[in-house]
Amino acid sequence: MATAVAPRPMSEGERMVIFASSLGTIFEWYDFYLFGVMSAIIAANFFSALDESTRNIFVLLAFAAGFAVRPFGALVFGRLGDMIGRKYTFLITILIMGLSTFLVAFLPTYKTAGIIAPIALIALRMFQGLALGGEYGGAATYVAEHAPHGRRGFYTSWIQTTATVGLMLALMVILGTRTYFGEKEFAEWAWRIPYAMSGILLAISVWIRLKLNESPAFAKMKSEGKTSKAPLAESFGQWKNAKVVIFALFGLTAGQAVVWYGGQFYTLFFIQTFLRIDGPTANILIAVSLILGTPFFVLFGAWSDKIGRKPIIMAGCLLAVLTYFPLFNALTTYGNPKLQAAIQKSPVTVVSDAASCNLILNLTGTAKFTTPCDLARVYLSNSGVNYDSVAEAGKVATVKVGDKAIASYDATAANAKDEKARFEKEVRGALNDAGYPAKADPIPIGSSNWLMLVLILTILVIYVTMVYGPVAAMLVELFPTRIRYTSMSLPYHIGNGWFGGFLPAISFSIVAAQGNIYSGLWYPIIIAGMTFVVGMLFVKETKDIDIYAND
Amino acid sequence: MWKIAVGFLIFAGIALYMLSKGGDVDMSGNEHAEHAPAAAAPASVPASK
Repeated sequence: MATAVAPRPMSEGERMVIFASSLGTIFEWYDFYLFGVMSAIIAANFFSALDESTRNIFVLLAFAAGFAVRPFGALVFGRLGDMIGRKYTFLITILIMGLSTFLVAFLPTYKTAGIIAPIALIALRMFQGLALGGEYGGAATYVAEHAPHGRRGFYTSWIQTTATVGLMLALMVILGTRTYFGEKEFAEWAWRIPYAMSGILLAISVWIRLKLNESPAFAKMKSEGKTSKAPLAESFGQWKNAKVVIFALFGLTAGQAVVWYGGQFYTLFFIQTFLRIDGPTANILIAVSLILGTPFFVLFGAWSDKIGRKPIIMAGCLLAVLTYFPLFNALTTYGNPKLQAAIQKSPVTVVSDAASCNLILNLTGTAKFTTPCDLARVYLSNSGVNYDSVAEAGKVATVKVGDKAIASYDATAANAKDEKARFEKEVRGALNDAGYPAKADPIPIGSSNWLMLVLILTILVIYVTMVYGPVAAMLVELFPTRIRYTSMSLPYHIGNGWFGGFLPAISFSIVAAQGNIYSGLWYPIIIAGMTFVVGMLFVKETKDIDIYAND
Repeated sequence: MWKIAVGFLIFAGIALYMLSKGGDVDMSGNEHAEHAPAAAAPASVPASK
């Protein structure tokens, strides 16, 4: 165990290390939000002319880019980072990642290049996912190996703040471009500008990273010829290390991921879709809470250097488990009180043949829900309506609101379009009569309800900072220098990509199955609870570990 | 440290101002755009449409 050194101010060189490392993750987040905002425009320019089967293949490939290619990238670049060094691997990942975003600006559309256009776009997304898999592990490892002992939590926590910076940067560039050129021109060609502007970020990132030195720990190890010859085999083929990887996944990153997705992305989905708060208001609420919460990343990172990583991460998971239901319930109370009242006063029932009700789970974006039962449940869930399900053999699904009964429709029928319009109009009318608002009342900025919503959302973001602030330092400290990059990258990307990334689809599936807008919270609660138990039992505290002890 | 805090606040202020003026925008990110639960609703639309 290393002796603690007295805290000293961060040196100029260390600041540069953190800045250079964080640039890559800013890029990651910039791209993440860019593609989210642009999804409709991208779909229109690259995919809309394709037939359904071909489009589904591309949707699946895009899905794979995020959930299969990224962990694969963690293995590829983690291995490189442990064999040839952090600095060069870092340069490769940001070059690939940056070019994959930048080149989108110059892609031909389907109209001009046919099938080549979506293929080129998906190929760039694949490269993006691959490089991204090596970025976070590299940033965390590189910063931690430059940080003085006893300050790694503080130093690495800066990396997490880039999610907010990336969001703000994306918003500024996208909204600035859209406002300047107008909606029409933005949709036609100006959407390329935010991608082209990423070139500036890429040039700065490469320039700064070229000036960096190799991590001192890795340089020493390399000069002594002690680097690993087979990082993958050492990381995952030897039980001594593989079990730490498994515990890191189930006892750290899985819970961290669901608390993060739950506190940032599911909240946005919840207040927009279930509470029917309009988009601009919901965005401002989330953005303000993120801005207020962001300093806590650094606060908890620094605090973890004093009291330990484990107590803070485990407390974040436990708080999520214990308070998600009351906090999300409070979001309804202050975000849409009329909905809250209607849920309590006017129960809604879906009567249907259980055999026609499927699991509404759309993990890949290609699933189709066509039965009357599924369509009724999706419509009610998307309207923020709680409902009870009653099984009646042979019955075509019917929605009952008070004394009104509305038959659902079959999406495969010839007159499906008319039937859909009829069903939605009748259900909406019945819901209106029963007091269910079609939209939440406006929430003026600064009103008491707005302030309460900001408070609740900020608390949820603070949970995110508790689990995310110290996690990079803890992952780094769990593994020895020779296989650190490889060993920490995989559990991070599986935890965040799979446990976190599947949260929206799984939670919505639970809501539709249970007929309760809060029931989707069971998914993050169960996963965070699992991480709390596994973490408490099997993951050791790491803050005092000398990460070079076995070099 | 105070320079970072001031820089962050200015940056955040500009982003919030643009967000308040710029209208609706999807802030749910790329991964959600591809397989979000909201996709369940469009996915229910029959293929013939």
